[in-house]
Amino acid sequence: MRAKGPLSHAALHMILLGGSFLFLFPLFWMLSTSLKPIEETMLTPPQWIPSALHFDNYLKAVTHGREILGYIPFLEYGKNTLLLCALGVVGTVISNALIAYGFARLRWPGRNIFFGITLATMMIPFPVLMVPMFVLFRELGWVGTFRPLWIPAWFGSAFNIFLLRQFFLTIPRELSDAAVVDGCSEFQVFRHVILPLSRPALSVVALFYFLFTWNDFLGPLIYLTDQRMFTLSLGLQFYQSQHGGTEWHLLMAAATIVVLPVIVLFFFTQRTFIQGIALTGMKG
Amino acid sequence: MLSRALRIVGLVLLAALMYVGFTRQPGPAAEDGKIHISYWEKWTGFEGEAMRAVVDEFNRRQDEIYVDMLTISQVDSKLLLSTAGGVPPDVVGLWNSNLSSFADKKVLLPLDDYLERAGISREHYIPAYYDLCEYEGVMYALPSTPASHGLHWNKKLFREAGLDPERPPRTMEELDAYSERLTKRDETGHLILMGFLPTEPGWWNWAWGCYFGGSLWDGGDTITTDSPVNVRGYEWVESYAERYGVTSLQVFRSGFGNFSSPQNAFLSGKVAMVLQGVWMSNFIDKYAPGMEWGAAPFPYPADSPELAEVASVETDVLCIPVGARHREEAFEFIRFVNSQEGMELLCMGQGKHTPLAEVSEEFLAEHPNPYIQVFIDVAKRSRTFSNPKTPLWSEYLSEMNAAFDEIWLGEASAEEALGRVRIRMQQKLDRHLEQKALREERP
Amino acid sequence: MRGLRRRELWAGLAFVSPWVVGLGVFLIYPIVASLYYSFCDYSVLDRARPIGLANYTDLAKDSLFWKSLFNTLFYAALAVPLGLGLALALALLLNSGVRGLTVYRTIFFLPALMPMVALAVLWLWIFNGEYGVLNVALARLGIQAPPWLTDPAWSKPALVLLSMWGVGQAMVIFLAGLQDVPEHLYEAADLDGASWWDKIRHVTLPMISPVILFNGIMGIIGSLQFFAIPYIMTPNGQPARSAYFYAMYLYDNAFLYLRMGYASAMAWILFILIFCLTLVSLRLAARYVHYEAAP
Repeated sequence: MRAKGPLSHAALHMILLGGSFLFLFPLFWMLSTSLKPIEETMLTPPQWIPSALHFDNYLKAVTHGREILGYIPFLEYGKNTLLLCALGVVGTVISNALIAYGFARLRWPGRNIFFGITLATMMIPFPVLMVPMFVLFRELGWVGTFRPLWIPAWFGSAFNIFLLRQFFLTIPRELSDAAVVDGCSEFQVFRHVILPLSRPALSVVALFYFLFTWNDFLGPLIYLTDQRMFTLSLGLQFYQSQHGGTEWHLLMAAATIVVLPVIVLFFFTQRTFIQGIALTGMKG
Repeated sequence: MLSRALRIVGLVLLAALMYVGFTRQPGPAAEDGKIHISYWEKWTGFEGEAMRAVVDEFNRRQDEIYVDMLTISQVDSKLLLSTAGGVPPDVVGLWNSNLSSFADKKVLLPLDDYLERAGISREHYIPAYYDLCEYEGVMYALPSTPASHGLHWNKKLFREAGLDPERPPRTMEELDAYSERLTKRDETGHLILMGFLPTEPGWWNWAWGCYFGGSLWDGGDTITTDSPVNVRGYEWVESYAERYGVTSLQVFRSGFGNFSSPQNAFLSGKVAMVLQGVWMSNFIDKYAPGMEWGAAPFPYPADSPELAEVASVETDVLCIPVGARHREEAFEFIRFVNSQEGMELLCMGQGKHTPLAEVSEEFLAEHPNPYIQVFIDVAKRSRTFSNPKTPLWSEYLSEMNAAFDEIWLGEASAEEALGRVRIRMQQKLDRHLEQKALREERP
Repeated sequence: MRGLRRRELWAGLAFVSPWVVGLGVFLIYPIVASLYYSFCDYSVLDRARPIGLANYTDLAKDSLFWKSLFNTLFYAALAVPLGLGLALALALLLNSGVRGLTVYRTIFFLPALMPMVALAVLWLWIFNGEYGVLNVALARLGIQAPPWLTDPAWSKPALVLLSMWGVGQAMVIFLAGLQDVPEHLYEAADLDGASWWDKIRHVTLPMISPVILFNGIMGIIGSLQFFAIPYIMTPNGQPARSAYFYAMYLYDNAFLYLRMGYASAMAWILFILIFCLTLVSLRLAARYVHYEAAP
């Protein structure tokens, strides 16, 4: 085979299995801890597998202190996160597809310079934008609302424009030319010729943006002031700051709740995922 | 046809989501004709419940104002963000330690006019607590629940170590000697009990110099972090790390749970003596019922008997942020909390003493903390201290915590670490005074 | 033809119009504003007052600024090369024709999906001094484990170790690069009697050098902005600010001390730093990176 190494197949599998163990163990440990009664979290040597599966830890984690003040409404946070993800994903896909089409398939003066500027902005780190964005959203009266966390997604982002443009360029020009000859407007070409052919690339963009929103911490930390409007990531940090250090089983249950949807999503969309990530490296 | 229907459903759904994503605002809307004021509080649990009872009482008596109380964690940084973002609440419950820097940044509304109109003045309060609400001659808050601090000790552990359970240490030297007697290790040499730990609870790491008579700032243009008395205080901290070994102490400490849990170092009997506030009694009742304990003024260095009068105090405060929409109504609520009735309801619920000069007899008679008088007396001492009222306190505090870590971990000597803090804070203070002058010159 | 051209111009502008707004409002304006604020005394609650270079000269004297910068560069200097090495090693192993590639790939990639906050919370538990599973495991192997997050000497290495767990993304990119290396190159090398190592050195590495460069630059940019994990795991950079990173100090200045001008100056220094490091990488790349001639 390709660059066949000096290792025998058995040795190779040994190493990979060992590596797999190391990579999976923390996840296993999270799951295991999340199902233990509290006493078993504090044993030395540790209890590897819970003596009984305490699924009620999950219920406790999401309803922790429901009867008292300071209750952390995880289900509400889940809804908030999904709302932001949905709005952001739709916006990101629509806007970036439009913009990328403009860059890939249409010729207009200044296009290449504009595209160059677009690429250059990929280097700008978020911390540089953090302060003025906050000031801007303050002027708009958006601080404390969901708006700063999803509306910008509707105006494109350099990385996704780049990704989709690369993809659109690979679609044969003849297809769209034929449609134009048939009397289609540019938008109709985009809508009925390009989009249907671009499902894989669009799913990559959608998936990445979903993950970004799901995982984002700094954005919600700055813009969300009301505890009822937190996202899951922010809620988990909040939970940790309130109940961390003692109730590790509940904290791990909460963490699992935040992680699990991502993993499930990954299993259903593995191919798109891996291809998408490979794509980001390729043309970089 | 189906796909068309689906598309319409999708669009409607999207529109609905966009509507929610766009309009969702913090705080509920007023629908009952009353003016709703939003009130952010940091308390959770029973302390939150106590405040909730006061809020309910206020709401019950009001037909014009309705207070919406919301629990907020890290309320100080959230207040900064929301005030800076232009969407502050109407009332906020902070700590007095926030006041100087927040007032300086113009986050808080001066209350002098409101106080004058309401006829509220210093003589209505235990002076120490009223003064904590003032910054540069202006009142920015009123107290909600106050607290003075004292040494708490575990009588059972005292007895086991052969100490008189009714006699707490009075001087620092006694504290050290008691600690030595109380400390226990298991057969492998691991610590299983510490007599006293200067890292517990870790909320006042900046204050150890003050217990030796020091202060962190002269009130004007000089930072005094590494004054000889302060250095002495932190050398005392250092002596604990050296005597018991940092590594074993760190391992021992990592087994402590949260403050508010049965695994709390003091409540679980891992530390026998601890510096804590008047609230500790509640947590003992809740997580370690049946524990035999006592509370007394914190010890002082034997060679400075005049420091027997020193005590640390602090208070939770209620403030109105700049940019609040309903200031009059907000003050109305603060005023109710500061009435004798409101205050005693609150402080009884939280197991603290009241900051007011006048206390009802029932309050003292029914108070759940058996040592409540100890804490009241401590607060009335002539030399109380709290964090210095410098506008740079949040930075200063972070510096002090870092210096404390360095000293504790043996990374630097007390003198070095405190010296570094002084240099840094002096730079910041100089720059601050310069910019402040500039601001006043060109408003 | 001219009609078509004009049609394309208007259509093109219409298609990219969201981006014109996005670029202007969410990138260009903030950048310009940030530069302006960096020369001002600005708290948001009061108007911005120009103070010349004071923020920059103060930063030069600010020992915490230097400390946070040192911590960040220290972390990057360990985490980026180690992460690249591990990712590449895993990718090479997976690319050697092993059965079950997709299963292994999934396993190694899985942790890279974890939300930062969940990652931080989980590793707090793993690193815990008393009940932490890592130290138990090390003790079994006869290793006296360091008190990871409570010892200033070990807090940064602990965070580097944690970052190794998330190399899956870089690994997948490497793997894709490896699979694109034309088979005939290896066949030619085989004919020359090249050893496995020769093939790695003279065929594989040069062929995937653009991917190494890409992953390296991404790694540098990411690690210089390291924020969420230390914000949760080592609040205030405890112990003794040994884990206080640049982005944390920037955040604290901006939103804890409301010194937006000072924070903006920090942001610009970070920007310039990233710019320079990227430039240096690209210069180095010009020497070492092999770009295959376009087919």
